[in-house]
Amino acid sequence: MSETLHSRAQKLFAQSLVEGLGAAEQSWLEQHLRECAECFREAVSTRELLRAFRNVPVAVPLGLAARTQMRVRLRAQESAQTSSGGALLWVITVASWLLGVLSAPLVWRGFAWAGARLNLPKPVLELGFVLWWAVPALVAVGVVLHQRGLNSASASKQP
Amino acid sequence: MTDDMHTLADGLRRRDPDLLDRLIEQYQQRLYRYLLFLTGEPALAEDLFQETWIRVLERGHQYNAKSKFESWLFAIARHLVIDVSRKKKFRSLEELADPESNQRYEPPDERGVSALQLLVTRENEQAVQLTLLKIPAYYREVLLLRFHEELGLEEIAGVLSLPVSTVKSRLYRGLDALKSALPEGAA
Repeated sequence: MSETLHSRAQKLFAQSLVEGLGAAEQSWLEQHLRECAECFREAVSTRELLRAFRNVPVAVPLGLAARTQMRVRLRAQESAQTSSGGALLWVITVASWLLGVLSAPLVWRGFAWAGARLNLPKPVLELGFVLWWAVPALVAVGVVLHQRGLNSASASKQP
Repeated sequence: MTDDMHTLADGLRRRDPDLLDRLIEQYQQRLYRYLLFLTGEPALAEDLFQETWIRVLERGHQYNAKSKFESWLFAIARHLVIDVSRKKKFRSLEELADPESNQRYEPPDERGVSALQLLVTRENEQAVQLTLLKIPAYYREVLLLRFHEELGLEEIAGVLSLPVSTVKSRLYRGLDALKSALPEGAA
């Protein structure tokens, strides 16, 4: 039997494993394997190899699934808390902004009245007014950043 | 099947904890085996197993139910392996991301004893297990997905983000590599 036939048989056999064969090629291959002991041995050998490959024992470490389930649940809870905390922060921010805008004329009148009583120069009044707006926002940003730091630290401590 | 996949996608979007518990149970063997075959390190495979499920939780909304859940799961796990290999400089695993950038795999030229003879005379699975670690990770991976997980070529292509033609070529070469490496691995 020629090398070309053996070579074709081996190629078709590999093809049958990887992507499958058409009916005519399958039939040719089966016929060849019946007639050629060498190719038949090679085919059996490869099938045995794949069978052994499929049977390679892999034992999942004891408790891995349970540990993973616990960790996933904890992460889900943390995410839910962060998400609800974030929503609350948005509500407070919007409410605070609205309140600030609506109360701005009153606050300015208060500053003007206090300035007149204390005889303060206008730049000091303006600076006070700016700080009246800026300080709460800066405190809020500080709180948010601090909270994020705590969250990421606790996430990194997870096993 | 499609209804099941849509139910699954819906549950993942809602981060349903019971569904995630069931999925972890159901896929523990297959996912751990995939990670172990890729990394060859049980401790690392264990860490990546947990990280994979955290990603499933966080990115569950991205599962669109158009592909099998396991394909999506393996793709997530694979990306994690590549990330870790880049951080820890596991050269053998970095090849997963870009195998063509590395030297071509040269199988050992030891054909004196046929694979069948070895399989008959030795502890088959142990021999194959040892051999597996000797062939490049990108071949181990396709062989596992095709012959263990029995994924179709297009599904494997989806997991690896590669054309089907590349998947086929890796499978043919992987089979050759496995057959060629066996005598050395079992020796």
